[in-house]
Amino acid sequence: MRLRTTTAYGFLLPYLAIFAAFWLWPIVYSFYLSFMSTRRLPWSFNPGMTWGRIVQDPAFFNALGNTLTILLIQVPVMIALATVLAVLLNSRLLMAKGLLRFAFFAPVVIGEAAYAAVFRLMFNSEFGIVNKGMEAVGLPGIQWFGNPDAAMAVIIIAVTWRWVGYNAIIILSGLQSIPEDVYEAARLDNVSPRQQFLYITLPLLRPVILFCLVLSVIGSMQLFAEPYLITNQGGPGGATETLGLFLYRQGFLNLNFGYASAIAYTIAALAVAISLLNLWLGRERT
Amino acid sequence: MKNRLIAATAIIASTMGVANGEPSDISVWAWGVAASSLESTLKGFNAVHPEITVNIEQLGYAQVKSRVLAACAAGGTGLPDVFQFQNIEMELITAQFPDCATDLAELGFSNQDGEKFPAFKMAALKSGDKIHGMPWDTGPVMMFYRRDMYDKAGVDPDAIKTWDDFVDAGKQIQAANEGVVMTNDNLNGGAEWFRMIANEQGCGYFSSDGETITINQPGCVAALEVLKTVSDEGLLTAGDFGERLQNAAANAVATQMNGAWFEGSLRTNVPEDQSGLWGMYFMPSVAEGGPRAANVGGSLLAIANSSDNKKAAYEFVSYALGTNEGQVTMLREYGLVPSLLSALDDPYVGETREFWGGQKIWQDVLSSLDRIVPAVGTPFFGDADQVMQATQIAYLNGEFGTAKEALDDAAQQISFSTGLPIAE
Repeated sequence: MRLRTTTAYGFLLPYLAIFAAFWLWPIVYSFYLSFMSTRRLPWSFNPGMTWGRIVQDPAFFNALGNTLTILLIQVPVMIALATVLAVLLNSRLLMAKGLLRFAFFAPVVIGEAAYAAVFRLMFNSEFGIVNKGMEAVGLPGIQWFGNPDAAMAVIIIAVTWRWVGYNAIIILSGLQSIPEDVYEAARLDNVSPRQQFLYITLPLLRPVILFCLVLSVIGSMQLFAEPYLITNQGGPGGATETLGLFLYRQGFLNLNFGYASAIAYTIAALAVAISLLNLWLGRERT
Repeated sequence: MKNRLIAATAIIASTMGVANGEPSDISVWAWGVAASSLESTLKGFNAVHPEITVNIEQLGYAQVKSRVLAACAAGGTGLPDVFQFQNIEMELITAQFPDCATDLAELGFSNQDGEKFPAFKMAALKSGDKIHGMPWDTGPVMMFYRRDMYDKAGVDPDAIKTWDDFVDAGKQIQAANEGVVMTNDNLNGGAEWFRMIANEQGCGYFSSDGETITINQPGCVAALEVLKTVSDEGLLTAGDFGERLQNAAANAVATQMNGAWFEGSLRTNVPEDQSGLWGMYFMPSVAEGGPRAANVGGSLLAIANSSDNKKAAYEFVSYALGTNEGQVTMLREYGLVPSLLSALDDPYVGETREFWGGQKIWQDVLSSLDRIVPAVGTPFFGDADQVMQATQIAYLNGEFGTAKEALDDAAQQISFSTGLPIAE
């Protein structure tokens, strides 16, 4: 018996060694770092420069606020759109279903750098198609990257565009698993299509939608590429700086590793808190 | 002089055992036209050192910066032999990773060599006896303007002496040129405009000794007020570096304010039919008769401590940056203003330039050099610059009553993140 466990651990050893070196050690070391002032050499023990700073740093709260704004606006809007899109894609009247499903799913396949560059061009204030279009119908152009709210809107639009089709496909699979006879029974009872959607489709889709919600919340917490690439590293003036970008900036642009570690632990704690909330929501359902 | 320098380089090279024909390869990271301009020195360099092959990798500025910092953090793993860095940001590396860039003194950079460059350039590169890089170019600020657009509005650039004049001129130019904006600033990703005007007014993020925060001093307050006025009058739109060049190429902007190194980027990025339509004038001042010179940007080349070819790398760096031949080639091809003092006397500087409407631009640019007092970087430049970017946007959007209040708040935040005190 003992020998067998030894053999098993022997086989696990390569993985465990890599796990220890590249996961465990950095996690422990960054916890240690989060108490150090790393502003000048030699580094010194000074939690006031890291934990003391994070609880009163306006730049941190700005990044936290931006992340939550995206979370609270973008995720519900996207899930709602995805649900509507899924119902439409599931319609009997729809032609060329396969092509349309692929078309809505396609944005996920495109590389972040490529689509970010296209969004930058589309929202360019001088030559972008968005402002040209708005001017054509008599609306004033918007400084998409110079105005904080407009820049946030661009990020939300871009992320929604990229992920709505992906979520719609997941919800569509949920739709198709709803048995047809439920609708048949409803039709016999003269239930209108609107009521069918509200009282049959939505409740039965609930677990799928919750799944999409959890994935999207995690995605929003990690948002980095869009504000980095589209709004020029969280611009204007930090208006679209997310927690991930803020962490990167402190750690790898300002070389303030102590503070960056404290931020990383805070983000991790937030993620745990949100996951627990999700679990709690999931439990209440059953 | 030129021959003597080449001879001197050759002697150094032979004493170091590189010129013995042993072939070596060196790699270089540089951004934008700086990389192109290094490329242009290779012909001259390989005439002296045929055995050294130089591979220049052209990247974006942000890429070079983040890659170098990450590589330094990893103990130099993955660094090329030679890398470009901004002067104002170099202290970040030297403060955190003093061994990332090799000490040029060990490779033969003497005190006499140091005297060939302006003192302020060297000061930022020295810590103790160590020399962390060789100065490359400087960035005297100029206004790059479209002669045809100014003419159409009847605006004489020589009459623009103050920022108020600039605002009046801007209104006339925008009225006379449909679809043209007076100027651009990298509002959403940088605070260059603020820094240029602040520097002109003798103010910077930090005091000259780097020990206190001076961002809320009168010169900086005046600079932020100018930015607000120009922006409020609708004369300024946001654009990052690439977008400012696109706007220029598309005849959509009348003026760009930038360091003189912008010359090469502009000239090589606009269509040929714009040749002769551009000119330069000095930046306006806040008050009549006030200072009209500032610096923005300026780089250096450093040699990685992890390099296996330090000697060959040093040969290349000292040819490209330490000889008139190398520096004047880069000025001619891509408008990089040499910080090598002897290169400023080169006859090329006095020539008229067709693209610039026959203006002797380099004479004009260089005439402002000795009036410039560049801002200091400190290891905290990035922290301060991020705070300033946020403050600038907040102030432009009316979140502060006055520029002074905005900068007092910025000073507090910088003090908070760096631990430095705010100057009295």
